[in-house]
Amino acid sequence: MTSDPPIAPGPILVALGSDARSLRLVHAGFRMAREQGRAWVVAHVEVPGWETPEEADQARVWLQEAQELGAEVAWLRSSTVVAGLLGLARKRAPSLIVLGMTRARGPWDRLESSRTQELLRRNLDVRILPLALDSVPPVEFAWRNLGDLVGIACAQGVILVFTCLFAAALAVVLGFPAVPVTFALALGFIVHRWGRAVAAASTGAAFLAYALWFNRPFGVLSVDSWPRFVAFAATVLGAQALVDLVGQLRQETRLGRRREAETVLLMLLGRALARCSTVQEVAEVLAQRLHSLFQADAWVLLPAPGDRWLRLPEGGEVPPGPPPSRLLPESSAAVAREDPLEPFFEAPCSFVPLAGTGGTEGLLQIRLASGGPLPQDRWSLLQSFAVQGSLALERIQAVEAAHRIRLENETERMRSTLLGAVSHDLRTPLAAIQGAATSLLLPEEALPDDTRRDLLVMIREESVRLTRLLGNLLDLTRLESGIIRVHKEWQPLDEVVGSAIVRLERQGPVPVRVRMPPDLPPVPLDGGLMEQVLQNLFINARLHAEDSEVLLEAWAEPGSLELAVSDRGPGVPADFRERIFDKFFRMPDQIRDGGAGLGLAICDAIVKAHGGRIWVEDHEGGGARFRISLPQDGPLPELPDLVPLEPAP
Amino acid sequence: MTQPLILIIEDEAPLRRFLVPTLSTQGYQVDVASTGAEGIALARSYNPDIILLDLGLPDCDGLDVVRELRDWSRKPILIISARNQEKDKVGALDLGADDYLTKPFGAAELLARIRVALRHATQVGRESPVLRFGALCLDLEKREVAMDAVPVKLTPLEYRLLEALARRAGKVATHAQLLNEVWGPTGEGQTHYLRIYMGTLRRKIEPDPTRPRYLLTEPSIGYRLNVD
Repeated sequence: MTSDPPIAPGPILVALGSDARSLRLVHAGFRMAREQGRAWVVAHVEVPGWETPEEADQARVWLQEAQELGAEVAWLRSSTVVAGLLGLARKRAPSLIVLGMTRARGPWDRLESSRTQELLRRNLDVRILPLALDSVPPVEFAWRNLGDLVGIACAQGVILVFTCLFAAALAVVLGFPAVPVTFALALGFIVHRWGRAVAAASTGAAFLAYALWFNRPFGVLSVDSWPRFVAFAATVLGAQALVDLVGQLRQETRLGRRREAETVLLMLLGRALARCSTVQEVAEVLAQRLHSLFQADAWVLLPAPGDRWLRLPEGGEVPPGPPPSRLLPESSAAVAREDPLEPFFEAPCSFVPLAGTGGTEGLLQIRLASGGPLPQDRWSLLQSFAVQGSLALERIQAVEAAHRIRLENETERMRSTLLGAVSHDLRTPLAAIQGAATSLLLPEEALPDDTRRDLLVMIREESVRLTRLLGNLLDLTRLESGIIRVHKEWQPLDEVVGSAIVRLERQGPVPVRVRMPPDLPPVPLDGGLMEQVLQNLFINARLHAEDSEVLLEAWAEPGSLELAVSDRGPGVPADFRERIFDKFFRMPDQIRDGGAGLGLAICDAIVKAHGGRIWVEDHEGGGARFRISLPQDGPLPELPDLVPLEPAP
Repeated sequence: MTQPLILIIEDEAPLRRFLVPTLSTQGYQVDVASTGAEGIALARSYNPDIILLDLGLPDCDGLDVVRELRDWSRKPILIISARNQEKDKVGALDLGADDYLTKPFGAAELLARIRVALRHATQVGRESPVLRFGALCLDLEKREVAMDAVPVKLTPLEYRLLEALARRAGKVATHAQLLNEVWGPTGEGQTHYLRIYMGTLRRKIEPDPTRPRYLLTEPSIGYRLNVD
């Protein structure tokens, strides 16, 4: 940038119009303000009677956009744009005024826009930066070299010659004087094919041919026949105008169809994106749609922790290109671009920033098979894709954040449940122990021997209960945190059953009846953990089914080993059959039974860690029947041969 | 005969307060160390008859104490530990400790274990060829096993397994120790052999294999031949 007057410390003033291109001014102001580290003011001057309400609304939208980008905004009312801007500029003393400038369509446009500039310049000692708002209109047809030109000229010559011959044939053979119409058709075709500018020469040639050939006397330009020339010229020009009109109509229709197609495309994309639940899926949908639309490879680039970039969808080749962090709208390299949020081309890929409400999320990178940039007129579509993609990404991030929060809440809830349960379940036995011990410490004569003994028994029982509770808590924590690993080994089930029963019998008689076929095959399981499962089930049965018999059955089924522990207690109501395996769940009428609601949760965790399933059902004839199904996977290991020892002497 | 001397290596005061009077009233002489180093020093100077060792010591790991004691002493070591992770217990037992008790434990259980360990220690060297455990009778010389005086036919591996357990009667034998004694070095890690042969052995010896009276399982650790 050349510096005519030195840059004053004031803000950058951006004067906005109301049409869509004004957005570019906002982005340019944003870029310059950041580049120079200045404040920036965006102003719109409302001149009464100049704008329709819709246009004013639109201008408000641009101002809002500017505000979101950090600009101070001003809505001015004044009799002229210049007066409004001058008023604001005198107050704010800007260092630079950015104006939009429409590229002149005619000399009067240029005059208008430069008059505003001129007036501002004359009244303010400030730099004024006019920005071109519209890109060069696309050329309908252009020749690239002389060969093309010669080719076109030859083609048109041939067409004209044939037209002359045809017209002559019509006139001579049929006596039908349709010469002007025939020429009009031919020239109409030429206009349609090559455009009006190229057709001008042919039109002249046709006129000469008509004047010299079909006008009597032959070969002479007669001034008398001017009415016929005028009629001919009118016919030809009229036809050309019609062709032009039809061409324009057709182009508009085509444009309309394309817009419609794009709308449908975006709708379909939106629908596909709505079904995505992971970032990976979003990237895949975008890549797939962009591929079918532009025959281009597409990737979503997302910043990952530790200055890395995630390129999704993963796999496949990595396209060459600059480091993505350099391409973000916030990066210094991107500042050089006119609009930081618009697509841009960095050979061999095009990029569009994926910008959400929380700033730039990442980039959409696409590479055409040709390696060139995407045609300018497709950029808006690409941008719409990017917008949809960033919305989807944002939605997923929001969902993930919500999920995380829910998980944290759940953990928090679990923790407080745990604290509540633990403090209650620890305090009860502790209270009993403390009470008993303090009673025992009273002067000896105060307590009869029987009572002393009762208290001592109670201390022992309560401490056993405390031990069990603590053990369960620790086990569950270890199981859930993965500290306890299931160490499966092939073993006969009787061993596990036996040690569970023996251990239980040490605490008192257990009426357990075992029904197990003697040829039950060994199963792969963790003996210590499965013993605990059985023990917990037996303890539950003893607790809830009083002294009724507990039946343990085991049988083999193809691919699994089945276990059932049945009692004659009250059973488990259907409503609670799933929940009884939850941590700290106790059935409403059993809150006071001294259990902490951990036993079955431990069973569930252990059985699941074995790849098995535990559930409860009705025991035929009353009571609960806990069922366990353990997978019997893998082949039974071979046993070493039984080598007989030498017989004893 | 002098009273057996018990050395307690335990850093926690409440447990010492419980152990010392309990053992003293049973007629044992009791000495106490609160660190591993002190315990080893005391063991060297008094050569106690049995050592109660806590694995969580302030100055060192209890396993190191076991290792150091086993360098020169064959006296029984009884582990008392709050750790109920199997690998700690198995580690101590494999290093040569004789038995373990998980805290908390009752006085009766502790006294029973101490009795077993002392009895076993006094039997060493004057091993009788015929061992009796309730109705189970094992003749080490003739390699014969009888249950209620009825001979039981065992395969060689089953017999070796029973013999290995009987040699440590009342004490726990870890999987690794049994595998090593019965199968030799090839048996290392093949715990399923052990479990499956133990299953067949139980079916031959136990009146009710699902309620074993003689061959008790110490889950995840090993087996114990019950002497009570």
